[in-house]
Amino acid sequence: MRRLYDLAYGRSGDKGNIANVSVIARTPEAYHEIKAKLTAARVKAFYGDLVKGDVMRYELDNIQALNFVLYDALDGGATRSLRIDALGKSLAGILLYMEWDT
Amino acid sequence: MTLRIGSAQGFYGDDVTRALPMIDGGHVDVVCFEALSELTLAILRKDMLANPARGYTFDLNIIAKQILPRAFARNIPLITNGGGLNPLGAAEMIRDTAAKLGLRGLKIAAITGDDILASLTDLQAVGETFADMDTGELLAHTANQNFVTANVYLGAAPIVEALQNGAHIIVTGRVADPSLYLAPMIAHFGWSWDDWNRLASGIVAGHLLECTGQVVGGNSLALIEHIDPRDLAHLGYPIAHVESDGSFVLTKTPDTHGVVSLETVKEQLLYEVHDPARYITPDVIANFTTLTLAHDGVDRVRVSGVTGSPRPDTLKVSMGRMEGYMRELIFTLGYPHVWGKLAQLKAMIAESWRGLPIHRVEYHLLGVNSLFGNIAKAVDDPLELIVRVMFTADDPDTLKTAVRKVMANGLSCPPGMSVSGTTVGAEPRVILGLWSSLIARKRVQPTISYTEV
Repeated sequence: MRRLYDLAYGRSGDKGNIANVSVIARTPEAYHEIKAKLTAARVKAFYGDLVKGDVMRYELDNIQALNFVLYDALDGGATRSLRIDALGKSLAGILLYMEWDT
Repeated sequence: MTLRIGSAQGFYGDDVTRALPMIDGGHVDVVCFEALSELTLAILRKDMLANPARGYTFDLNIIAKQILPRAFARNIPLITNGGGLNPLGAAEMIRDTAAKLGLRGLKIAAITGDDILASLTDLQAVGETFADMDTGELLAHTANQNFVTANVYLGAAPIVEALQNGAHIIVTGRVADPSLYLAPMIAHFGWSWDDWNRLASGIVAGHLLECTGQVVGGNSLALIEHIDPRDLAHLGYPIAHVESDGSFVLTKTPDTHGVVSLETVKEQLLYEVHDPARYITPDVIANFTTLTLAHDGVDRVRVSGVTGSPRPDTLKVSMGRMEGYMRELIFTLGYPHVWGKLAQLKAMIAESWRGLPIHRVEYHLLGVNSLFGNIAKAVDDPLELIVRVMFTADDPDTLKTAVRKVMANGLSCPPGMSVSGTTVGAEPRVILGLWSSLIARKRVQPTISYTEV
């Protein structure tokens, strides 16, 4: 079974209470597959309670990457959050843990 | 002619001395230092309340003492937003330091006008509502008016002017991070203020540079199996070689550790970005979806094809508001009966705090669910639980009382429990609410003050 990490890498960061997660394809084939199947709704469902607001998806065909913007995702933002990862640095990694072939 | 821009700071506390190999090696024409995160200004306000001469970043003392003399000797300008809340105080410190070091002829520029805390009432009277960008709530309507910072994100213009007037070091308060880096390009190439594609390309260069280590191997998942772990403490910070058409090569300080690759550039390109077709800055709206990345030799990536559209008529304002204090305690629970002990700990704390005005209490199980909540699979019977208890109150004294009441149960605790001593002795941390809004560009007037040694 493949995980999303087998097809892509990525990085996450914060702006206020909004996090963003980039998903950068390892190959053109992987980008084609990710672009077709990794919808905003699927990402929103994966994060569950961690992301309380909407998820927006942006496509960058030029660098074969997707950018997901997660609203109300950081417990109020870095300056208010009680989470140990207040900046959401780990959010990209766990998305890559997604089971891909199920 | 190519302009070589070095980046030696990406946050308050970064190792600004990474500028030295850039300068001493003759690898750069200008060095920029980006010091202000969304939180930093509030930290600086706390310093300034204790001592009005402060309010700028401590890193600036290192820049003034160790870096400025060598940059001045080579006529390499330094640009930094580390002036924080007090660029004028920072300029005085730099002048005094430079005078002691005998840097005669040094010209310092301090840029102010971003700090609008004192004029919020007047600005509201002339129609600025400062509506919260997330909720739409008007500033006048919010109950908690305990704002300690209010700063406009300025653009590149005043820095360009100071460079053209021969400043050797330029100290600003809040300036949009990539605009710090755009300024020397405009000053050098004479780009016009509506040359949107070139300005946008300069913004992309600035965006890639502004987080220093993050584009040369730091925080890089792509490089996890390809970088020597020891390199992370010694990364050579990034440099952009910018051409007059705005295209540039992203590279790093020669003969230093780290990697610049298509992967590291892609990772940083999207860092803290929302809509990549509309990356909004005070100087231009940049479109990242038209650019091309190309491998250009070892540790070199060429970036071209960035496009831009006109800058907005508004500027972003970031305000910080005091919203109370938080405190952390960490406990360890081991085999057997870890879940029963956790129940005892929670009950002990709840009983101890009965009647205390504690607002939020959260229990995070480190290594179990602290990062990923419910995504993590439940572990039936772990040998150990590390329990992080977070709690908040309006005032620090309540939190101190809360810690004392919990610790008073030291000999009446769940069996085998221990507490992390450093968390018991720690100080409460301020909870700062960020309030982001917009202001009409025409209401903001940056001022440049020059001082010479």
